[in-house]
Amino acid sequence: MEFLRSRRLYGIILVVLGLVSLPYWASRYWILVILLFSLNLALSQMWNLLAGYSGLISLGQQAFIGLGGYTLGVFSIYYGLPISLSILIGGIISVLFALMISAPIFRMRGVYFAIGTWTVAEVLRILFSNWKYVGYGMGLFIKPAYKLSFNTIYYAALAVGIASVMVVYFILRSKLGLGLMAIRDEETASETLGVDIFRCKLNCFLISAGMTGIVSGVLYLHNIFIQPYSAFGIDWTVRLVFITIIGGIGTIEGPIVGSFLYVLLHQWLSEYPSVSLLILGAIAISVILVAPKGIMGTIQEKLGFEILSPRRK
Amino acid sequence: MYGIERGSRGLSGNGGSIGVNSLLRVQNIDVFYGDFHALWDVSLEVEEAFVVSIIGANGAGKSTLMNTIAGVLSPSKGTIEFHGKRINGLMPYQAVAEGISMVPEGRRVFPRLTVLENLEMGCYIHKARQKKDKVLRKIYELFPILEERRNQLSSTLSGGEQQMLAIGRALMCEPRLVLFDEISLGLSPLVIKNIYQRVKQINTEGITALLVEQDIQRSLKAAHKVYIMQSGRIRLEGRPGELSSENIHKAYFGL
Amino acid sequence: MLSILNELKVPITNGLLLGGLYGIIGIGMSMIFGIVRLVNLAHGDLIILASYLSLVAMTFFPVNPLFTLIVVIPVMCIIGFIIQYCLLNRILGKGMNPPLLIAFGLSIILQNLLLLIFTPDARTLLTSISVKTIPLGNFLNIPLVYLVDFIVALVSIALLSRFFNRTYMGKAIRAASDDEGAAQLMGINTKTIYAFAMALASGTAGIAGILVGMTFTFYPHTGPEYLIIAFGVVIIGGLGSLLGTFLGGLILGLAQLLGAHFLGPGFQLLSGYLILLIVLTFKPTGLFAKG
Repeated sequence: MEFLRSRRLYGIILVVLGLVSLPYWASRYWILVILLFSLNLALSQMWNLLAGYSGLISLGQQAFIGLGGYTLGVFSIYYGLPISLSILIGGIISVLFALMISAPIFRMRGVYFAIGTWTVAEVLRILFSNWKYVGYGMGLFIKPAYKLSFNTIYYAALAVGIASVMVVYFILRSKLGLGLMAIRDEETASETLGVDIFRCKLNCFLISAGMTGIVSGVLYLHNIFIQPYSAFGIDWTVRLVFITIIGGIGTIEGPIVGSFLYVLLHQWLSEYPSVSLLILGAIAISVILVAPKGIMGTIQEKLGFEILSPRRK
Repeated sequence: MYGIERGSRGLSGNGGSIGVNSLLRVQNIDVFYGDFHALWDVSLEVEEAFVVSIIGANGAGKSTLMNTIAGVLSPSKGTIEFHGKRINGLMPYQAVAEGISMVPEGRRVFPRLTVLENLEMGCYIHKARQKKDKVLRKIYELFPILEERRNQLSSTLSGGEQQMLAIGRALMCEPRLVLFDEISLGLSPLVIKNIYQRVKQINTEGITALLVEQDIQRSLKAAHKVYIMQSGRIRLEGRPGELSSENIHKAYFGL
Repeated sequence: MLSILNELKVPITNGLLLGGLYGIIGIGMSMIFGIVRLVNLAHGDLIILASYLSLVAMTFFPVNPLFTLIVVIPVMCIIGFIIQYCLLNRILGKGMNPPLLIAFGLSIILQNLLLLIFTPDARTLLTSISVKTIPLGNFLNIPLVYLVDFIVALVSIALLSRFFNRTYMGKAIRAASDDEGAAQLMGINTKTIYAFAMALASGTAGIAGILVGMTFTFYPHTGPEYLIIAFGVVIIGGLGSLLGTFLGGLILGLAQLLGAHFLGPGFQLLSGYLILLIVLTFKPTGLFAKG
């Protein structure tokens, strides 16, 4: 067991090293692919943390994407703060917002929670569209990001991508993680055993909000232009949901596989964005009907094979 | 020869022969609830126009057996024949079409429908709809309180009235066999006595009854034949008069 | 007092009339949520699909969009039946999430399908009704199309109510939603019943779609807007009664237009969302919930 584990660890380290060295030997196309992959990976890991492990199906992650991106824009443009600091503040503001809405939102269960989170994001969308300070619906050009090289942005994306996987992995191995596993398996029983369900879920909600805010900052370094309609749009969540479902909800490897497939599909069909979403939707429905645990979930079930196992051995 | 009352067969009246025809035959069935092995090699036979009672403590498997006959559960092994036709594996709504009706445990009347609407649901199957008014009159005769409360929401009825409604509802489709699952649960002795009198009345019209009861005495009084179950198996069967108290208790407790 | 009323007469009347439209938008979702315990996240997109269907029908027969109801309603019913029977029935009872996600998938597929077929241009079901107004004495002018929306919605809901209270199928649907197992014991094939309920709900989406198309412009992506409206109506009005849903629509309409009146036109949707969030937080079962 120990030998196998270290083999796995070496394999992972090799892959990471390969990715880090990518700009030195790969084409720009592939660097872009891995960049997008890392960003999507980070976002879907956070969605998975909520939906797959905490049982909170959120359709409102885009609230934090918008907040993170706008924080980057506002603080770096208006206040001239360094970019890394602005991104960090984006994460902090996201956490604070999440804390603020947690009281009403956590009173909602199941589908009410889903629609509630979605509505909150829509509220933000309307507010930002009508806010003079951020340029109304016309958005902002994040000029300070122009001076960054493509490779710098790539490394930032890679960093958050890897960080997201590590965050989820270590959460699951921690006390919080034990609580989540217990909740996932049997919510009412775990409550009687002293697991503070509300606390567990709230912590996950906050962590996921903060991470998403930070990732969004990096994302908008790449996109440069932010406007309320797309930043707070449901399309973000659409893609995260599909990625996680297809890859395997409730597994760490799921979003990895799902993000990779998504980015490839998207690049392949970049001429026809609607078609890629259509295909994605059809695949997602088929997956739910046929193999509801997704690709990695089904593999884990059938072969008992886990690359990054959060289980204590 | 048997010294037991048995009326003419069926409401449509078919001469009233005193043959001992087997209406329901359960042969060697095994039933699983997920991984839990609930019934072990269970066999029973219900003759036409009989009242047959299944007795057992909680968890003996009585309701599982009823649910399997009604089609809610499926046996993994063995067969169930109704009037010569194989019915294991049928969905509940198909079993109704064959002529089996169930008064479910806990009554399960539709709370947001009125008494009349509940009864109407009893004759949902197409064959029964045409005869609705005729059968409804008979049900009202049997349970006058239902006519009185016909436009009330069924959730406003008392326990005993709901039980009568559940029974009336099961009779609306003119079934050949009615399954009564624990109809005395939660009711006072007087009400129970009342209800059992109606069951007897129903049976004298020729409808076959399969009852599940925890109360040993009441079962022995009401039935022509009893089966005693324990831990998912049939431990004893026979006519009430022929079974000794000692044997009954041994079987009931699995001793 | 009178002057306040005079100032508010337009948003109040328009709010109520629009509320009727919102009511018929929400009825379909209310039915599915209350009966099959499923939230159809594709409901808004089904409404827009109906708008486009009407558009197509009108290219063949240049008639008043209301006449296209004859074609659109049956088509929508069939679509709804198939969706329930082939897709959603498969994952009934496997928890709340799979149906939610499948509906989500359907929503995206519908939107992008419409985008591919019809391009992102704004469309509308133009008719002379859309621009006329009717004077109500000297008091005020009512946009004719709002009035038509309200009347059609009211009539539809009244018909639906009759269906649920007077027909075997309607009562069977109610019975199945009370207790699925007991309904099965009555000889009711609940899987088929659910498919019929979904067909009915999609039919109402058809009606809503045509009304929406006559009243507003629509794009392939307008679906989610109406989904949130539908959900808002259902939540505010409460589950379990058609009348409650209709009243929910009226309240939402009022809230939106009064909000727009006081805060500005950009805040019309916002006012609706805020009311929804408030009700979700404090009384998720709705203001008029039954049992």
